Amino acid sequence: MDFGWTKEQKELRSGIEELAKGELNEGLIERDVNSEFNRKGWMQCAEAGVHGLPIPVEYGGLGRDTMTTVGVLERLGYGCRDNGLVFSINAHMWTLSIPILHFGTDEQKKRWLPGLCDGSLIGGNAMSEPSSGSDAYSLTTSARRDGDSYVLNGNKTFVSNGSEADLALVYATSDPEKGPAGISAFIVEKGTPGFEATGHVEKMGNRTSPMADLFFDDCRVPAENRLSSEGDGVSLFTHSMTWERACILSSAVGAMDRLVEMSVRHAKTRKQFGQPIGKFQMIASRIVDMKLRVETARALLYKAAWLRDQGRSIFLESAMAKLHISESWIATAQDAMHIQGGQGYMRETEVERELRDALGSRIYSGTSEIQRVLIASMMGL
Amino acid sequence: MPSPEDVKATIKTYILEEFLPGEDPDELTDSVELMTMGILDSISVMQLVSFVEEKFDCSFDAHELSVDHMNTLEDITKLVTSKL
Repeated sequence: MDFGWTKEQKELRSGIEELAKGELNEGLIERDVNSEFNRKGWMQCAEAGVHGLPIPVEYGGLGRDTMTTVGVLERLGYGCRDNGLVFSINAHMWTLSIPILHFGTDEQKKRWLPGLCDGSLIGGNAMSEPSSGSDAYSLTTSARRDGDSYVLNGNKTFVSNGSEADLALVYATSDPEKGPAGISAFIVEKGTPGFEATGHVEKMGNRTSPMADLFFDDCRVPAENRLSSEGDGVSLFTHSMTWERACILSSAVGAMDRLVEMSVRHAKTRKQFGQPIGKFQMIASRIVDMKLRVETARALLYKAAWLRDQGRSIFLESAMAKLHISESWIATAQDAMHIQGGQGYMRETEVERELRDALGSRIYSGTSEIQRVLIASMMGL
Repeated sequence: MPSPEDVKATIKTYILEEFLPGEDPDELTDSVELMTMGILDSISVMQLVSFVEEKFDCSFDAHELSVDHMNTLEDITKLVTSKL
């Protein structure tokens, strides 16, 4: 296992970091208050190649391996404090681009991947429903085959990027009696008659990442928009979620680095009782715990990515990475806020937003409880 | 290289121990529909794939973890044998 970076990888990482530290952070406090998506920043990241990192060059991407991809996303998260924008990019990559890449026909790849890579198309993933969250396969959205198309009926909730999305990967059942084996996945394009996305959904964190509920009312989707074979929705979703769990919090590792550095800076400059607060062992100890969390989180992330590049399945490793990084991110943001004292509770210092943004990570892509169930199962328990 | 019979026996033993404890081994024939009957759900497919990868030093493509390729003991044996 070699976690060192080549010269080319270092340049890619530092290039994205520089982009991230610049314009992407401008006006962030206001965008967070107004729940405003940074479309310009989205395009800047796409132009820099972020959206297409793991997508082959022939489909418009950079064709990088998993290690490089997570390594670059890590630096994006370090430089860009707009965790909502970073989340939107990740949701787009792992829940739509990757499923199309690995399950799509060549025609489907050529049709959609270039736009998903260059940022002109925004993608989302529609699985959750009002009555099916962690029990995802109990979904009721239906897909009735009718000639050369499917007719979709039902509604989806908590769809990341939903209100802005040009494409949504919608999971629906064509035969409820078959249970999970009756589920298929369909790419539904914005503007399809019978398909509607609600406007705005207020969230606690990741407020700059758009979210919507999607409604399907006799929405006719061409059969050629079905991804993989009929009834293959579970294997597709399992694959998509494995990638997402492994990679979606790459940027959170960078965000944790940023929080640790901020805390060290503050602890060295803020004086109380005649000395920097970092000289007090309880403050120093808290920062040591933050450092340990970010390093163990990084190790789990890199190991999952490395194994993926060896062609191995990473069901266990992705669940462990997701669980540990999310829990560590929240704890690290709480510590960073605490070390800042009263200022950390104020909007202007931007630490409270980091905590609000981190909290969602324990829920999306499978709750911490679901990750523990997966890990226990993979251990034979 | 293990023979197809060895591969099948190893996989059958694993499925019986992990997912069908106490069941009569004779009931698990080559053609029992493991996925469509719910014996293998999404998590147990992950467990089985991880076991097979480790045991036979092979890897799977994303689309192979599906009913089309892993629904029966015979399907799984054929898939694994093709990778050895």
